[in-house]
Amino acid sequence: MVKVGIPRALLYYQYYPMWKTFFEELGAEVVVSPPTTQATLSAGSSRVVADTCLPVKIFCGHVLALVDKCDYIFIPALRSVKSKIYNCSKFLGLPDMTRAVIPECPPILDIDIDINKGKRRLYQAIYVLGRHLSRSPLKVRKAALAAWQAHREYKELMVNESLAPPQAIAGVTAEKHSTPNQASIALVGHPYLLYDELINHRLTHRLEQAGYRVLTPEMLTAEQLETAITRLTGQPYWTYEEEVVGSGGHYLESGVEGAIGVIAFGCGPDSLMMDMVQRQAIRLKTTPFMSLTLEEHSAEAGVVTRLEAFLDMIQRKKRRGAEVCV
Amino acid sequence: METYLGIDVGSVTTKFAVLDSKDKLVFHLYLPTQGKPIEMVQEGLKEVKKQLPKEVNICGVATTGSARYLAGVIVGADLVKNEITSHAVGALHYFPQAQTVVEIGGQDSKIILIRDGIVTDFGMNTVCAAGTGSFLDHQALRLNMNIEQFSQRSLESTTPVRIAGRCTVFAESDMIHKQQMGHRTEDILYGLCQALVRNYLNNVGLGKDIQPPVIFQGGVAFNQGIVKALREELDTEVIVPPHHEVMGAIGAALLVHEEMSATQQESQFKGFGISEIKYRTSSFECKACPNLCEIAQLSINGKALARWGGRCDMWERAE
Repeated sequence: MVKVGIPRALLYYQYYPMWKTFFEELGAEVVVSPPTTQATLSAGSSRVVADTCLPVKIFCGHVLALVDKCDYIFIPALRSVKSKIYNCSKFLGLPDMTRAVIPECPPILDIDIDINKGKRRLYQAIYVLGRHLSRSPLKVRKAALAAWQAHREYKELMVNESLAPPQAIAGVTAEKHSTPNQASIALVGHPYLLYDELINHRLTHRLEQAGYRVLTPEMLTAEQLETAITRLTGQPYWTYEEEVVGSGGHYLESGVEGAIGVIAFGCGPDSLMMDMVQRQAIRLKTTPFMSLTLEEHSAEAGVVTRLEAFLDMIQRKKRRGAEVCV
Repeated sequence: METYLGIDVGSVTTKFAVLDSKDKLVFHLYLPTQGKPIEMVQEGLKEVKKQLPKEVNICGVATTGSARYLAGVIVGADLVKNEITSHAVGALHYFPQAQTVVEIGGQDSKIILIRDGIVTDFGMNTVCAAGTGSFLDHQALRLNMNIEQFSQRSLESTTPVRIAGRCTVFAESDMIHKQQMGHRTEDILYGLCQALVRNYLNNVGLGKDIQPPVIFQGGVAFNQGIVKALREELDTEVIVPPHHEVMGAIGAALLVHEEMSATQQESQFKGFGISEIKYRTSSFECKACPNLCEIAQLSINGKALARWGGRCDMWERAE
């Protein structure tokens, strides 16, 4: 059976069920790289060109982990998923960059996804991708439809059951975290930062240890995200703006105890988008907000100290509120 | 006498503060860490014991600062608190009306915004350490003066030169350039103070609503040049409290007093005798998974007391 490798990085968390369904429908076996470790990062860092960001270094590490483990590696060039909305240049050139820095990489299955060019071009691109695995256009069409269905179910599952992508992918049910009235903290940012425990120094785990329920962008509906973006910036410009501006804008007015914005050091689009959220937090003054910048530091002190201080701030504020009421 | 001890082990200095039951400061101590946090905690405790009256009873100990977990295990802390909360609590104790706390230490700098007596926002320097105490120390050393002379000389400046404060490396080459052009040392020094204050406000203070009164604490508040530059740049009242350098330790002591009063428990303080114990630190690379975490270990007589540094809890739990 043909093996298609999928790196557990960048867009994996948004689209894995869709990609998996597509390739499996076409008779391939899907292999996912193991979760990020220090070794993944070191391997990736040694290959990338200068001035790449941490998530891209980790992506390269995942590709390296798949070398010799599969016949093809799937790396899409995701240009735009909505009309007149653009993606970061690192996403646009991802397959080409990977080919250049990892020459030993198995053949890359790439696809240009650009909705601005019209649906017809998108269908053609999907067909070209599918042809690597099947000669039958009908079979490719069927696989694409099944993949789209799987994607929609995945999205709905996360919204309906308030699940984060790793849980939804692993098929965890919601009962585990259904303590009623549990105080919650919202994490705002891209999934490749929020669910990669190496990048974020186990942020979710630390918050859960402190007794909080963790809410993330994927748990919101498309309408909630769009409403918040409209309120904050009007027309979005960046792909995945909803993960930052949309979820940030929503959670700041949703009654959570606090919101934490997570960005990677040196990320251009995020520095603009997170600033919007920060400004909104200052304007509203209702929900404590902190932004965490993640970089390659292996020391956790920076994240831990900030997190402890943030939680102290929330608790002391709450306690003071209770005293005033009495 | 009932007392509470706060220990703030920072990257460059180690601070001790002892408060009585009415939260009055009875003793404080400021020591260089010299890269030996354990020894300095032991030495500091010896000094604290010597200076305090015999009948003193330590009813609670708290540690803070970047070595708070290490120090916490050694002294048997009742509370281990991050330095941001400690500094805010310390400042509020002396200035309940404070709205902004500026804290610049040896390796990091913070800003804490307070409204109606509660912390509403804070910031800490991220990837850049430009403008912290270590850099000032280094520059003073390069100019062959101590930091006190730096502070005095910078005040004599009449026409400060412009220095790029964005990055310590650039600031240094800028300073050397100005010095080779023939500018006066005091003008270069004050120019550096201005650059560092600008850098602090543009990085740590970015987007923060700085309202007076501004409380300036931490070791760098000793530096008159920085205090003056901060006053000029903010164009507002900047208060440097007495004992500003031990404010983190005072905050920690206040917090442990609060905690002990709430829980009504006995302190876990291991006593002044720990100054005599020989602690050993070691580290090893955990090979249990590809993360290869560096685990640090603290032990007495070959018996492990505590371990840190893992991405999982495996070594922290291990006996």
